[in-house]
Amino acid sequence: MTFVMAVCVAVVFGVSIYMLLGRELKGLAMGVFLLGHAANLCILAQSGSPVLPDGEGLKAPPVLSHGDYEAAAHGGEALSRMVDPLPQALILTAIVISFAVMAFLLTLIIVSARKTNTLDINELGKEQLPTPSQAH
Amino acid sequence: MPDQPVPVSSVMLMTAVFAPVAAGIITLFLPRKRTTLRVLISLAGMALAFGLVYAQVAQIAPTSAAGRAGTAVIPWIPVLNLNLAFLADGLGGFFALLVSGIGVLIVLYARGYFGDEPDDLYRFYPTLGFFATAMLGIVLADYTLLTLLFWEMTSISSFLLIGWDRYDKHAVKLAMQAFYTTGLGGLGLLGGILLFGLETDVWRWSEFLPAAGEDSPAWWLPEYGEISWTNPMLGAFLLMFFGAATKSAQFPFHYWLPGAMAAPTPVSAYLHSATMVKAGVFLVARLSPVFWALDVWPWLVIPLGAITMTMAALIAINQHDLKRIFAYTTVSQLGLLMCALGLGALKYTDHHNNSFSVINWDITQIANHAFYKAPLFIIAGALGHVASRDITQLNGVFKKQPAMCITLILAGFALAGLPGSISFQAKELFLYAIYHSYQTIGSWWLILMAAAIVTAVCNVAIFVRLTTTVLGLPGGMTADMGCPAHDDHAHHHHVDATGFWGSMMWVPAAVLVAFQFIGGIAPGVWEYFIRPFETNINYEGFQYLPSLGYILADTFKEGPSIPLICSMIAIACGLILGFLPVFRGAIKDVCDQIYPTVYWLAVTGGRRAFMLVQTGNFRTYTVMVLGAFLIGFAGSVLRDPRIIDPVYEAMSRGGEFWPGILLGAIIIVTALALPLTDSRVVRVLILGACGFAVVGMYLVYRAPDLALTQLMFEIISVLLFVLVLRLLPRDESKSRVPRWWRGLIAAAMGIAFGWMTIVAATTPRDHTLTEGLLLGEMFARHSYKGTELTAGRGGGGDNIVNVILVDFRGFDTLGEITVLALAALGVWSLIPRRRSPKV
Repeated sequence: MTFVMAVCVAVVFGVSIYMLLGRELKGLAMGVFLLGHAANLCILAQSGSPVLPDGEGLKAPPVLSHGDYEAAAHGGEALSRMVDPLPQALILTAIVISFAVMAFLLTLIIVSARKTNTLDINELGKEQLPTPSQAH
Repeated sequence: MPDQPVPVSSVMLMTAVFAPVAAGIITLFLPRKRTTLRVLISLAGMALAFGLVYAQVAQIAPTSAAGRAGTAVIPWIPVLNLNLAFLADGLGGFFALLVSGIGVLIVLYARGYFGDEPDDLYRFYPTLGFFATAMLGIVLADYTLLTLLFWEMTSISSFLLIGWDRYDKHAVKLAMQAFYTTGLGGLGLLGGILLFGLETDVWRWSEFLPAAGEDSPAWWLPEYGEISWTNPMLGAFLLMFFGAATKSAQFPFHYWLPGAMAAPTPVSAYLHSATMVKAGVFLVARLSPVFWALDVWPWLVIPLGAITMTMAALIAINQHDLKRIFAYTTVSQLGLLMCALGLGALKYTDHHNNSFSVINWDITQIANHAFYKAPLFIIAGALGHVASRDITQLNGVFKKQPAMCITLILAGFALAGLPGSISFQAKELFLYAIYHSYQTIGSWWLILMAAAIVTAVCNVAIFVRLTTTVLGLPGGMTADMGCPAHDDHAHHHHVDATGFWGSMMWVPAAVLVAFQFIGGIAPGVWEYFIRPFETNINYEGFQYLPSLGYILADTFKEGPSIPLICSMIAIACGLILGFLPVFRGAIKDVCDQIYPTVYWLAVTGGRRAFMLVQTGNFRTYTVMVLGAFLIGFAGSVLRDPRIIDPVYEAMSRGGEFWPGILLGAIIIVTALALPLTDSRVVRVLILGACGFAVVGMYLVYRAPDLALTQLMFEIISVLLFVLVLRLLPRDESKSRVPRWWRGLIAAAMGIAFGWMTIVAATTPRDHTLTEGLLLGEMFARHSYKGTELTAGRGGGGDNIVNVILVDFRGFDTLGEITVLALAALGVWSLIPRRRSPKV
């Protein structure tokens, strides 16, 4: 599974870099969006393969059942049949933040497109944007 | 060691070091008009330093074992091997007396030079005190790093004093030139000291020097001549020598010293002739007893000194400004001192089979220069006050200023090294050293001797021209001698002092130059005072300082010796050259262009590089960052090719779960389709499809929370994109620029990132920390019930991911919420409203 994940990361990341290097702001936003996916998949891959070593299906989700409390506290067998909870916790935070960044970026694109009437990065560089003091 | 009483001698020498700056600071609190009191306090500071050092060297013979042991340590920063301990051995003790003694005279001279000008004097004395303290620190410090500290302080004070006239941009530029040049050398010295200290654990000069009477170099040097290029001792020596060469204005770093003449003349006389520029010579003399054993020493130090000596002498004779003439003769003399120290590494065996180092009476060499060069500068400044500093304007000035001119002529007499001054003996010593070096370096000594003769000829010629000019005799320089001297903006015009203080314009020079003739006429007196400081008294048959009478007696007995003949040739040629009309122009030194060129290159080149890198184009920056990353990645792959192995291993186990492969394929296909389509709506839909496939992947990885969250945000994001597309203007027709470079970088980055994912995911975990394979094992074990680690307290939750988010990493979640709130605020404030209350 790790290899599949790695290929996914490679492709998604590569495409996102390709989009980021483009001249168009919308494509750039999509690139940022894909970058989030690539990073999350990469972190998730760090939890190792979700397939049990003996090939009997998948590991358990990181949720304890009622009988497991003592066993879990001492580690060992109960934990080895469970996927890693830490990468998931990290990704959960990352999803929310990447969404926030996404929303802000899209708003910025709308505002700059309204002001400058272009979505081309090279054109934007030539614009004489008002400085904050002149804006009002 | 707080209980032990601090030893007296440590405190004494420390007080000596800090007395000048303390006196200078006290003067700052005086009212500006109290100039006399100011002078007296500064004088007291210098005199106290002199007295304390003198008491120390009188108490403990400087060259004895006790004198070379250094004083007891006053701890300061022991962990950095930086403590307060002082070493008044022959070299250090002599230099300290020289610095503080000339300091006393310069304090008096400055009062005469600046006249009754309270503002200049108010600033000058504290700065001078600061310098004197720094210089005393260099020569007396026992800890190598302490020396370095004071070394840098002299660079700073030199900078302050060269740029004395703050409104003169030229002077400030020259001050920076001096500061950067000597500061660069200071960095070299730091490197050398650290390299040496870390390698040998020797941080004190007293441990560094061989014990008294011991001739062999210290244990850390290999056998004579066997040191290899990779030996760190060689690097340490070269770095330290670089520091010494810049400080002592050796070719090609000498340019800063003539530039430093923009300083007021008391500064030139003190820092840039008698004391600070000798710090490099001092350092080389400090290093010499040990590093003489390096076979690179003579081949580096002697030629550098000889080149500096000859070149500067030839430039000196072609100058018109008195201060520039004396500056170049100073450079020349510094080269001579370097050369003499370099010759010390060579051995000579006489016909009695006694083997000795060819250096002899090196302290006399150093003292000799201070005793004529400082007076020359003092008089140059005095003449600049009352007449002109341009030698072509000084014809016949003797009638108006007889006292100054007599002092000038006497000091010039010593500059020429004519018999009757100690300078003559010093020159003889140097010529003897060159002559004796033939056993080691073969015919090279002829070249050295020729260089010495050329230098002496120039010095004699300069003396002849000075004398004939001020006396108004034929052969002197006159105003119609070509172009006027280059004005280096350093004519400080002050109200002339009269009476006692007015005489201070030349009396200090007369006092100093008197030592020249005392030594020259009565060498016994000189020997009585200087001998206790001398460590290199080597020549058999030359045990006594050669007075004129001694040499004459020797000559009558055995015929004239070769050095004496050479000396006479030099004097004769110098007298002739002095009257010849050649070499009378004012030439420019090519090396003056070094600093401006480097400066120009740094500024212009820096601007070019900035323009090249900072294009303001987002894509350029992205490519640069990614390129740097790729180079680093390629480097690590090349360094450890085994990094490829985990990829094969992961590939072999890639097909263990077919729904995962299917989802992966969807992710890959949708991602690849994204840049291939042009339609905006299709692109958004593809983006959504990719996101949903990622949600599926989360499910495969048994992450229900992730899947739920991602699903929700994916839906919102797709809606958001559709909404935004409606608000944006339509796509313009894109210019089809070639995209192969984008694809290339993207592919390389993708491969690198995927590769790193595999390597990171399959690297074995640290088994001492985790029994299982879980990164989050600690969280899993404490999710519901605690262990001993947490005193039995746990998170009390079944869902480990949720417990991590709200318990273990609660602050992260708080931060996440804050980011979300800020983004929402930003969107709210940026979004254009339909009906705005204003505008």
